Amino acid sequence: MLNPLVQLLDKDAPVLHRYVWMAVLYGLLSGLTLTTLVPVLDHLLAGDVRGAALWLGLMLAGVAICWAWRLQLDRAGVAVGVAILQGARQRIGEHVARLPVGWFTAQNTSRLGHVITQGMMAVAQLPAHVLTPVISGAVTPLVVVVALFLLHWSLGLIALLGLPVLCVALWLTARLGQRADRTYQHHFADASQRMVEFAQAQSVLRAFNGEGASTQLLEQALDQQRRSGMRLIYQSTLSVVLNAWVVQAVFAALLIAAALWLNANQDIAQQSGTVIAVVVALLLTSRFIDPLLEVASYAEILRGAYGQLAEVQSIFAVEPLPEPDQPLAPADSSVEFRQVSLRYAHDQPDVLSGISLRIEPGSMTALVGASGSGKTTLVRLIARFFDATQGSVLIGGVDVRQMSSSQLSARISQIFQDTYLFQGSIADNIRIGSPAASFGEILDAAQQAGLGDLIERLPLGIDTPVGEGGARLSGGERQRITIARALIKNAPILLVDEATAALDAQNQSVIARTLSSLRGRHTVVVIAHQLSTVSMADQIVVLDKGQLVEQGTPAALRGSGGRYAHFLEQRRAARGWRIAVPSNSEQA
Amino acid sequence: MDTHDTAPAKTRVRGPISQILHPVRGRLIVAGLLAAAGAMLTLVPLAGIAHIGKMALSDNGLEPAQVWWALIAGVASLCAGMLLISGAELLAHLADNRITHHLRRALVQRLSSVPLGWFTSRASGEVKQAMQDDISSLHSLTAHFFTTSGRAAGAVLISLIYLFTMDWRMAIVSILPFPGFFLFFARAMKASQTNMQAFTAGMGRIDNSVVEFVNGIAVVKSFSTGTRAHSSYREAIDAFALAFIGFTRPLVAPMANANAMIAPVTVLGVVLVSGTVFVGLGWIAAPDVLPFALVTPGLCGPLLLLHYITHDLNHAAGAARRVQALLDTPVLEQPAPGLQQSPKGNEIRFEGVSYGYDSARQVLADVSFTLKPGTTTAIVGRSGSGKSTLARLLLRFFDPTQGRITLGGVDLREIETCNLYRHIGFVLQEVRLIHASVRDNIALGRPSASQQQIEDAARIANIHQRILDLPRGYDSVIGEDALFSGGEQQRVSIARAVLLDPPVLVLDEPTAAADAESEVAIQEALSRFARGRTLLVIAHRLDSIMLADQIIVLDNGIVHEQGRHEELLAGKGLYAHLWAQGGYSQSADLAVSSC
Repeated sequence: MLNPLVQLLDKDAPVLHRYVWMAVLYGLLSGLTLTTLVPVLDHLLAGDVRGAALWLGLMLAGVAICWAWRLQLDRAGVAVGVAILQGARQRIGEHVARLPVGWFTAQNTSRLGHVITQGMMAVAQLPAHVLTPVISGAVTPLVVVVALFLLHWSLGLIALLGLPVLCVALWLTARLGQRADRTYQHHFADASQRMVEFAQAQSVLRAFNGEGASTQLLEQALDQQRRSGMRLIYQSTLSVVLNAWVVQAVFAALLIAAALWLNANQDIAQQSGTVIAVVVALLLTSRFIDPLLEVASYAEILRGAYGQLAEVQSIFAVEPLPEPDQPLAPADSSVEFRQVSLRYAHDQPDVLSGISLRIEPGSMTALVGASGSGKTTLVRLIARFFDATQGSVLIGGVDVRQMSSSQLSARISQIFQDTYLFQGSIADNIRIGSPAASFGEILDAAQQAGLGDLIERLPLGIDTPVGEGGARLSGGERQRITIARALIKNAPILLVDEATAALDAQNQSVIARTLSSLRGRHTVVVIAHQLSTVSMADQIVVLDKGQLVEQGTPAALRGSGGRYAHFLEQRRAARGWRIAVPSNSEQA
Repeated sequence: MDTHDTAPAKTRVRGPISQILHPVRGRLIVAGLLAAAGAMLTLVPLAGIAHIGKMALSDNGLEPAQVWWALIAGVASLCAGMLLISGAELLAHLADNRITHHLRRALVQRLSSVPLGWFTSRASGEVKQAMQDDISSLHSLTAHFFTTSGRAAGAVLISLIYLFTMDWRMAIVSILPFPGFFLFFARAMKASQTNMQAFTAGMGRIDNSVVEFVNGIAVVKSFSTGTRAHSSYREAIDAFALAFIGFTRPLVAPMANANAMIAPVTVLGVVLVSGTVFVGLGWIAAPDVLPFALVTPGLCGPLLLLHYITHDLNHAAGAARRVQALLDTPVLEQPAPGLQQSPKGNEIRFEGVSYGYDSARQVLADVSFTLKPGTTTAIVGRSGSGKSTLARLLLRFFDPTQGRITLGGVDLREIETCNLYRHIGFVLQEVRLIHASVRDNIALGRPSASQQQIEDAARIANIHQRILDLPRGYDSVIGEDALFSGGEQQRVSIARAVLLDPPVLVLDEPTAAADAESEVAIQEALSRFARGRTLLVIAHRLDSIMLADQIIVLDNGIVHEQGRHEELLAGKGLYAHLWAQGGYSQSADLAVSSC
């Protein structure tokens, strides 16, 4: 429990250590103060009120110390909370900022957001609400056990033996819960997936509601989730019961032992103080049992918190892209792949294998191939979304891994299909491409990206906020803002993805204009879909199943009768297609 | 360090919570009562100890039989109490399992009949969040709150009764710390109230900047010129930490005081001091202190646990509110039984149709036209002109705000949903296959279709051979061993529509997600499928629909022009402008000519 916390806190860990020691000490102080009840009761039961009062003074001093210490302890707990909310959140931020861009999938981003907000908030509350009672609850009985030993060694022995038994029970039940928990999590994830599908495919499910079966798959998943949830309930109830029963069994054993002793030693007991000792010992046992019960009752809550911490750990476990100690500057804006292979995980097949390719500075290269052939991956390797598994990617003769990330990104502009806009105005979002740009330059880029009409239409023009509460922009308009962003950056290498026909006509013509104006001045790598784009290129690269199968000028490849020729044929056929008309149905 | 004010929250949210829990309320109350009875029984051994102690110290000495009886009663009650508590926990958890399952199914049923447009305006993650995560967070409410309250109430009640029967004066003095606890606690709550607003605002701000940080980081990294997002993230974190400290500082001392007030040491101290005083005054005998020393310190455990659980309750209350809101989502009007009508023929008429997502923004205004059986109608226009909305109205993703759409003379609203989709099929831009076998995906609308029929549909859709090449053929599972490209998925979805054989077909940019190779295959499939059907086609590329019987040009939600290709070109209006802009006249040979 504490190890992941220490890791999370890193250089703030002393704050946690301090808090933990204070909590342990608080448990000790509480235990010691509790044990003063022994002399107090001894004297009181023996009829010595004055003697009791003296010891009471000591006890009250103990209470006062505990009280003051508790105040300090809670402050220390808050300090841990603050360290988590501030230090740990910053550390997560710094860590993920160094992760490869390729890591930021939709799933990972939502996980990350959850961890930073709710996750850290929950962890920050741990000291005050959970750790203090658990730590002090575990330490206090240790002190009480010593006192029990002194009072009556056999009772002390029983209590002492109870402790390891309880530890074993706690450990066992934690393991027991884990298995059922994992199965449940598995079914929970299945059902979650079905819910996402239910929402995403709702139109299809409803339209194809064949014989009323549209919710069948989801309901099956829900039933399964319920069944494994039921198993988890039985198991975890069993765990809770087992823990509590072990504690209570120790209690019962102590009771029985004390009663046996009292019955067996009636005669001696009467005349000596031992009977008082045993009675006081019995009273002490309840102070031994109570905190243990409390610790056992927190077991489930601790398991939940552990899940949050494990999630943070898994994020910290992702390796950041290594940065060179002495970055090298690229000589020009050429791009080169040397025997590059990539796989996303060890047990997965190659996404790219053995790619060798040179892209001259100032040339335009069009990537062509079926979806899944590796075009997007190839382009992303240039921008170092991730590193190649084998081989190397070079820019201006320098391995991208030998460049600092700022050097690298200063050389590259990207026009990709995912369009994220920050809160702020249209101008703010364009300025991200070049923070030093003047207002005129921003307006210029916006015009070039085909945003002129939009800016004219909006009352606040280019200063209109985007996103929530701002202008409702269409997908095409949002994308044009990102194009303007890439244009204003004016980096020597431009990466473009026009992967599918999804671009609307206006964006298509903006991209075509952009490409033709940058051609010859910038190194351009474009994932091409349009005939007009490929025909502009100096070099065509055809990919198939992660391999480079053809390469050459459009003219050379067109006549070769290979893949590119086939691609051209397909594109031309697609362009010539007319939707069948009943009156003229043989049209192709 | 409390972040919530518990007391007012409870009264505020009683509505949704009691509504949501209604079906299991009886069980939960029984579980609470069982837990209370159990908690009472587990305290009996303490009374037993006090009894034995008093006996042992009395002048009469011990009677072994009495000791045994006290012992047996104590241990038996302990066991019985534990059994009851365990039973109560089990009961509450099973009730939780039952109600969450029930709620999830109810949500599925409800959402299956809300307008489809409801889904398009929401991220699928939100739906999952409500169905799965929100309902899960009801757990602390159903599974824990009632039993924990029961246990705490039972323990406190029986303890008080026991102590007051022992000696009312001692009882009053020894429970003094507990009102003290509430005094400090109330002060803590008051302190938190003053800073609550600033704190909640800080929470909102940090959530926003975290969202922006995690979503925008990829963009920031690729531009790197500024660390804008990161620095605003850093600032938000620091600002929140400050707000948190400001919020917590006045809270720490009263909370620590409250906690220290009812710590077992304090309570025991109070009991022993007052006990010693009372014995000194001769009000009680020394052994009479034992019950108080035994029972009173045990009161703080349940009280603290209760405090912790109310803390969780706020979370559950918020979730309950969201779930209830979802369960109250208005459903798409269904024709009352008896009022359902069957369309006569397949002619479709749009009659003065208007639609707006909200009153401020009209997407379509007063659109009227007719789709004659067997003809092809194309809808064109700039992006954002309302084309897709028009198609979705025909598919009844939502209903028009004004006007009506009829199929065979009957308003769509009076046709049963499944009957409607038997007449109108669709192939849309975004393709949705479900996680099931290829066969089940194609036969989704007709589970009883024969293998032969399924294969025929796949052949028409140009995907049969590709399916046979899969490891398990038609039994391959989408996303597992059937990994299709965007274009191939589209062809599976065409096969699915073919199998239903609808007389009317709506096509919305069906090749948009396809790569170059797939586009032709999809086009071939569509040409075969469309033959002899009434077609409504939405297209960006004008040349693909130039042969349509009727072309409707939308602009800003109104029908701008309408006619055949040649007529519209001759009219030199918007269509002619778009045609010229697209450069279609010279299109096909571009690739050859320009190099």
